[in-house]
Amino acid sequence: MQQSIEIMAPAGSPESLTAAVKAGCNSVYFGIEQLNMRARSSSNFTLDDLRDIAKRCKEANVKTYLTLNTILYDHDLRLMRKIIDTAKESGISAVIASDHAAMAYAKQVGLPVHISTQANITNIETVQFYAAFADVMVLSRELSLNQVKSITREIEKRKITGPSGELIRIEVFAHGALCMAVSGKCYLSLHSNNASANRGACIQNCRRSYIVTDKEDGHELEIDNEYIMSAKDLCTIDFLDKVIDTGVRILKIEGRGRSADYVHTTVSCYRQAADAVLNNTFTPEKAQAWKNELSTVFNRGFWDGYYLGRKLGEWSDSYGSKATEKKHYIGRAIKYFRKAEVAEFKLETGELSIGDTILITGPTTGVVRFEVDEIREAELPVNMVKKGHSISIKVPERIRASDKLFKIEPNEIHLN
Amino acid sequence: MIQIIFHRHKCIGCNACTESAPGRWRMSHKDGKSNLIGSVQKKRVHIAKVGYDEYEANLEASRNCPAGIIEVNGQD
Repeated sequence: MQQSIEIMAPAGSPESLTAAVKAGCNSVYFGIEQLNMRARSSSNFTLDDLRDIAKRCKEANVKTYLTLNTILYDHDLRLMRKIIDTAKESGISAVIASDHAAMAYAKQVGLPVHISTQANITNIETVQFYAAFADVMVLSRELSLNQVKSITREIEKRKITGPSGELIRIEVFAHGALCMAVSGKCYLSLHSNNASANRGACIQNCRRSYIVTDKEDGHELEIDNEYIMSAKDLCTIDFLDKVIDTGVRILKIEGRGRSADYVHTTVSCYRQAADAVLNNTFTPEKAQAWKNELSTVFNRGFWDGYYLGRKLGEWSDSYGSKATEKKHYIGRAIKYFRKAEVAEFKLETGELSIGDTILITGPTTGVVRFEVDEIREAELPVNMVKKGHSISIKVPERIRASDKLFKIEPNEIHLN
Repeated sequence: MIQIIFHRHKCIGCNACTESAPGRWRMSHKDGKSNLIGSVQKKRVHIAKVGYDEYEANLEASRNCPAGIIEVNGQD
């Protein structure tokens, strides 16, 4: 069994970045400008943010990976070089690339390269090919664990090393959305809306339900399985021991389009589970508890992906999330009083009572979640407040003005 | 005249507009985004007033833009 497992977290926003670091990730990945696979859906960082991200993460001993993994056209080349140069100057740990031009340039300037899932590595010869450029490679999500294991074994047997001289380290996706196509190589969104998934503009029309029309008589059939192109989300927590046993070194969590609380929950569950596997304290009961926790945040229902050798995908039976909890925005922080550890909030909508669970998110705060045991209005204790009122609440850690306040409620539609 | 409004900062550089209306759009090799030729910049918005003859091609550019950031205001 191995010594350490790296948990790689998605950081689609400053809030998610902070949440990932606080939850115990070892590395984060994020995009800047338009040349990344979430050009459309996440609030990407800019070149100017790189130095700050690298500094903050270095202080927390977290590695920083910059995604530069769309297909590249001639007109993108100068921007690609600028992004890589700036990443190198800013102290970013590595760039995640799939286009050979980006790999070649990063190698030329001495910025470590990771091979993206868009390169679809499915065999040992391809690993050997990319070893000229990269020390870390993510394998295609469509491989079984047996196939993953045979690749990691063969790397050791053949002593395949990357530019650093160390053996190639293999990364796999542990959690998050799966694509109906082979790891992102999809044309559906481009075909229907001219929005190429391979330029980070996927409109996710695979997630919708469709009707089949008989061209002869016009009869319409709603497809029984409903969302036939919408794969359920990958969740490996209940067989994480088997995943780690394949010899992978890095577990990647998908979700640059997801919220900070999603990132916090997924990172902390996988961190604990991976540590439990390494300490030989991983049990099915613990795994079930983590899975229950994972189901509180966005998911389309879980399945084990292709890792356990299933031939066909499992399709979602509904649109959107099956999360067992919902968060409602109710207001914003006005001020934090450091000595008293109390924060003042303005309730903009809804209501709040003692006993409610709340979530506070912000770019520097990340995610703070707790149960409210005391609410004060004009210094007097109250049991419940409605919108329009300003209140103060004791908070377990420092938060900041303008942080968002959410109330957590059970998502009754999905509770059985 | 027709008016083309382009929210350039949201451009993902996919090249679709230059295929639809090559005379009016050109990919910048500097930052990989598209340039609306002959436009005037007002804050983050780029605006060009062009002849009716360019309406069809730019309407197509607008429809094909995956980021939805090109508006073409019809003939008056």
